[in-house]
Amino acid sequence: MSGKKEISRRTFLNYALMGTGGFLAAGMITPMIRFAIDPLLKHSAGGDKVAVGNADEFGPEPKRIDFKVHTKDGWYESETTMAAWVRKTEEGEILALSPVCKHLGCTVDWNTNPDGTKDQYFCPCHLGRYAINGENILGTPPLKPLDEYEVEVKEGKVYLGKVIPNPRQGVAG
Amino acid sequence: MAKHDKDATFVGDSRVSAKRIPNISPSYSDFPGKSEAFWPNFLLKEWMVAAVGLIAFLVLTVSHESPLTAKANPNDTSFVPLPDWYFLFLYQLLKYPWAAGDYVILGILGIPGVAFGAMVLVPWLDAGKERRPLKRPVTTGLMMLSLFSIFFLTWAAHDEHVKKHGASHGGAGANAPAAAADPNFKAGDIWTAQASCQGCHGKNLEGTAGPNLQKVGEKYKPEEIKEIITKGKGSMPPGMFKGSDEDLNKLVEYLASLK
Amino acid sequence: MMQKMYDWVDERLNITPMWRDLADHEVPEHVNPAHHFSAFVYCFGGLTFFITVIQILSGMFLSMYYVPDIINAYESVKYLQTEVAFGVIVRGMHHWGASLVIVMMFLHTLRVFFTGAYKKPRELNWVVGMLIFFVMLGLGFTGYLLPWDNTAYFATKVGLQIADTVPWVGPYLKTLLTGGEIVGAQTLTRFFAIHVFFLPGALLGLLGAHFVMIRAQGISGPL
Repeated sequence: MSGKKEISRRTFLNYALMGTGGFLAAGMITPMIRFAIDPLLKHSAGGDKVAVGNADEFGPEPKRIDFKVHTKDGWYESETTMAAWVRKTEEGEILALSPVCKHLGCTVDWNTNPDGTKDQYFCPCHLGRYAINGENILGTPPLKPLDEYEVEVKEGKVYLGKVIPNPRQGVAG
Repeated sequence: MAKHDKDATFVGDSRVSAKRIPNISPSYSDFPGKSEAFWPNFLLKEWMVAAVGLIAFLVLTVSHESPLTAKANPNDTSFVPLPDWYFLFLYQLLKYPWAAGDYVILGILGIPGVAFGAMVLVPWLDAGKERRPLKRPVTTGLMMLSLFSIFFLTWAAHDEHVKKHGASHGGAGANAPAAAADPNFKAGDIWTAQASCQGCHGKNLEGTAGPNLQKVGEKYKPEEIKEIITKGKGSMPPGMFKGSDEDLNKLVEYLASLK
Repeated sequence: MMQKMYDWVDERLNITPMWRDLADHEVPEHVNPAHHFSAFVYCFGGLTFFITVIQILSGMFLSMYYVPDIINAYESVKYLQTEVAFGVIVRGMHHWGASLVIVMMFLHTLRVFFTGAYKKPRELNWVVGMLIFFVMLGLGFTGYLLPWDNTAYFATKVGLQIADTVPWVGPYLKTLLTGGEIVGAQTLTRFFAIHVFFLPGALLGLLGAHFVMIRAQGISGPL
């Protein structure tokens, strides 16, 4: 060790080395990271709305509708079958609920509870229950109401879009 | 690593010595002459060169998109296969009659086998102490010969490919899309009489191994067509036409009329 | 802070000797291009390693989008190249890097050959180096098929025909590589497995041995 000067030269070289190394690593990895996180930054296409029937077909009683959606999953394009429980609410609006239970993703059915609770959706997996507009019944496993579909009524026809959260609150059953 | 020293103490019940070695870089005076420390002196220079190289490499990737031809289609007979460039020399070697057919053992095992085997075993084949290339002429000479052969064979394979199938860069004849064959096209009688022509260009000129000729008149003048028929072109051999000169002229006239 | 973390690890694992050995080994004048420009020939080995690192990283990222299946392979490559941001660059790095790594390795081999650096006591390292060369060629050959485009398909067909002509073992070798009668679904999964697991595994082991031997023996002296 011949004094302070030599140490500072080494320190400087060390910093320069870290900088160059950092640049090398960044140059290599930046494009790859951007490539990998692309799904995060891609805004979803939204998807076209699908016609499922005439508005006057639906009454206050929920009716199960199966419809096909064209999905593009990366390079894989397919027709997926979706289901919805559709009814006309007391305000006269069309409400389309997703049948996927908010607890663990089983499929709910209308009025099939063996206990005989009336006018409720029932999930057979963990006995979850929802009221007629999808509100979760407090005290049953689900903590959120059933999701609903974006609904558009145009010239008497009902179109369903993507699934959005249901704003309703849970109710006591 | 750990020396079996009676006085050695260890960290806990492990085999790691309890004696700490200070983490201090040696003084530069420990490096004699123009030697230098790997870290940070030499590595910094190396990485700076690597950084420039990386920039050049990234520019290459952006400016030259990697090629992707059409999806693999085993029935695409117009596609001329070509291995990746670093296998071309082997590919070319196997084209020569003295390294293929009955002599394929020579082409596959004899030449490349011996050459690569010798490469692996070179420390024992050239076991002398001398390291300077000029002082061991046999080793150096054989290597130069192999290098020359590899370069020549690679060049020959590329050259042959370009000559036969046009200057399609990227290695494959993918950018020569064959004119879409018209399934309703009916060839004239003068064509249907020529069995050997149909072998490659199809019964109705739709093309199989050879190109589609249904609109050949757009591309060539009559004189050119005649020359191609008599002298051949690319992989098409000369003298395939069977018949009189009069028939040849009729055929040329017919082909030139196809537009 | 950093110092404390270092000391904590060092106390338990005694990493200082390893680290000092790596950092402090001297680089002799005759391999340093700063002193003799012609010494740049000694850089090819390091550059080969650098590009190998790029290949491994870009390959890992490409496999996030790629599927080894004859229906989807081509579609997925096309998708990642045309629709995923920076896909052109990442696939480009892997594609052009594959050629570059062969070039660099070739030059490195020639440097070692012409400086006679394979002589005693470095015979073993030379043999390991040649094995690395063959593994790299294998990686090039198997990787070429994966996009499942025409270029890939027919090049592989030619390659397998060549394998077929090897006396005695040729037909068996061909069936083993093809995984069936034709170049198809089973060939693609086989090539994928070889390209992504078997050969890289072998490569990492061989590279480790290569580097350990270099550190143990030091770089060969000047001519």
